Amino acid sequence: MKKIILVTVVPIFISAAPIDGFLQQLEAQAKKENLNFSGFSAKRGEQIFTSKHIGKRGKKISCTSCHTGDLKATGENIFTGKKIKPLSPKANPKRLQNLKKVKKWLRRNFKDVYKREGTAQEKGDVLLYILKN
Amino acid sequence: MKKIILPILIGAIGVTFAIADSDKESNIYAKKTLTKQNAKLEPLYKKECSECHMAYQPEFLPKRSWKKMMATLSDHFGTDATIDKEDSKKILKYLSSNAADSKRVYGDFRKFLKSIPKDKTVMKISEIPYFKKEHREIPKKFIAQKEVKSFSNCKACHQKADSGDYSERDINIPNYGRWDD
Repeated sequence: MKKIILVTVVPIFISAAPIDGFLQQLEAQAKKENLNFSGFSAKRGEQIFTSKHIGKRGKKISCTSCHTGDLKATGENIFTGKKIKPLSPKANPKRLQNLKKVKKWLRRNFKDVYKREGTAQEKGDVLLYILKN
Repeated sequence: MKKIILPILIGAIGVTFAIADSDKESNIYAKKTLTKQNAKLEPLYKKECSECHMAYQPEFLPKRSWKKMMATLSDHFGTDATIDKEDSKKILKYLSSNAADSKRVYGDFRKFLKSIPKDKTVMKISEIPYFKKEHREIPKKFIAQKEVKSFSNCKACHQKADSGDYSERDINIPNYGRWDD
């Protein structure tokens, strides 16, 4: 029996994209932090992504201020003018491939807009929203 | 006969000097952009730092400024710009070994360094006295316009800024054009 489980589980992990593994990690953490957690939601992710907050340098911003409301569009850092390639992997296949980069930008951008790091649930919600759009 | 030869000779000497001079200048120019210490770390610096802004040439600031810069990335001009610890060490190594006071720098880079008070640790290139002097005549509206945003956006006007060339002939101010002093 053990052998069968091993055979079926291993290929799933190998074929999965790095982002799926990261989502599983976030899910495990979200369950610990929130007993009522019942999976990530792209809808909550959209809310996190589009709502405005007093962010860095006292400016009222949302994620869309730089990334635009269209995840497939090229954005622009409103502070430096630097162009930002689309977030959606459908428009930019390199997106969400490098986990080191994903973690770095989730940390930085939550601080930019929310002035704090996101929770595991919030990060998962936003990632799901990006993946689905 | 002698009278004719003399002016020709003087003329020839003059030409020789002119050639030697322009040679010297182009050498200085080449050196100013080409000698990089720890060049293998340059791609990492460029990749990490140019995700948000131009990767400014390390020769713009002295070592003490880069040290402080890399130690304060959690509040990098109001932004969290923290990076991986190992990458941070490597980038600091690249920046300090190419800093204005770590090697011989030429042209504008040298003038920038000379204008910085010894007891100050400048954090913004745009606050260096020589930078301010060179940009003092640029109307504020040219800088504030959306195509430029701020002095930190060198490339908006200096078309070859990426290669470390800030010559006047390559200046093109958006919605204005060439800038002649």
